[in-house]
Amino acid sequence: MKKKMSLLKIQFFGLLVVLSTSLSANTIENKVNVIADIQRGQLLWKKSYKGIPPYEQRSCQSCHGKDLSQVGHHIKTKRVIKAMAPSVNSQRFSNPRKVAKWFLRNCKWTMGKECTVQEKADILAYLKSL
Amino acid sequence: MMNNENIVINNSNQPNKNRSIQNKEICVWDPLVRIFHWTLVISFFVAYFTEDEYLNLHTWAGYTIFTLISVRIFWGFVGTKHAKFSDFIYTPEEIFLFIKNTFSLKAQRYLGHNPAGGVMIFLLLISLFFTTASGVILFAIEEGQGPLAWFIGNDWQNWEDLFEESHEFFANFTLLLVFIHVAGVIIESFIHKENLAKAMVTGKKRIEDEI
Repeated sequence: MKKKMSLLKIQFFGLLVVLSTSLSANTIENKVNVIADIQRGQLLWKKSYKGIPPYEQRSCQSCHGKDLSQVGHHIKTKRVIKAMAPSVNSQRFSNPRKVAKWFLRNCKWTMGKECTVQEKADILAYLKSL
Repeated sequence: MMNNENIVINNSNQPNKNRSIQNKEICVWDPLVRIFHWTLVISFFVAYFTEDEYLNLHTWAGYTIFTLISVRIFWGFVGTKHAKFSDFIYTPEEIFLFIKNTFSLKAQRYLGHNPAGGVMIFLLLISLFFTTASGVILFAIEEGQGPLAWFIGNDWQNWEDLFEESHEFFANFTLLLVFIHVAGVIIESFIHKENLAKAMVTGKKRIEDEI
């Protein structure tokens, strides 16, 4: 009987571990104070990175296009990307979760790494100025 | 093994004729059910925690889940006794009575899925189907990849938010079901003094005079 109870305790403990990790995974990101720079953001946006063929030259412009008040065409997925400039697309940057999601996915593909908080702040400052 | 020991101790003051019967274990969960169960557990948590961080791994975990639930649904019609859906379809009255009895720790023991467990299997399969289906569509809308990419064009972009929200909702709903499922397993294990999680590993459960 005692052995049984300890097994149940292990099961219960396991459940607690799963619960707590799933809860902590949803905690809010640490807030860091950074000063965003529009010029730096623009440079990052236009900078070209080396990627795996067939997309050897990658920059934000490759998919978003040179005119950010127009739609872009993704070179890999062939998806149409809505205009980035908030002046023509009021929905742009209205949802923080979407901004975070696409920064993650697109920095990884374009630059081959995740963007730093500073880089994201700069790029966002540049795009919001359009 | 522990089960056997305990039964011997528990029944030591009962007549011998019962002991030989109550020591017996039979295979309740066939290998396909057990492999399905634990592969699904792993795939679900891989998919849940990789999320956007490792999209490649996330999608492959998703395909694995879809394949697993398809095989399980097929097995629900042609499989072994306790794997069949017909073995664990109960009436709403039976289900509510069982849940009520569970709360007062008087629930009846079932060799296969009990009424609450049976409902949970259906809910999990349905929820996982909607999670994977919305995921595959979302993958096609956003990335132009996956098995549905060929027929999902740019015009589907208007539905991106809907599928994104659904995908998240059903993933979290599945997680909620998993918690209730595990809680149910712990409570039933406690009521009937057996380890149901272990039975899903070995496939074996002790025979008594229950259903």
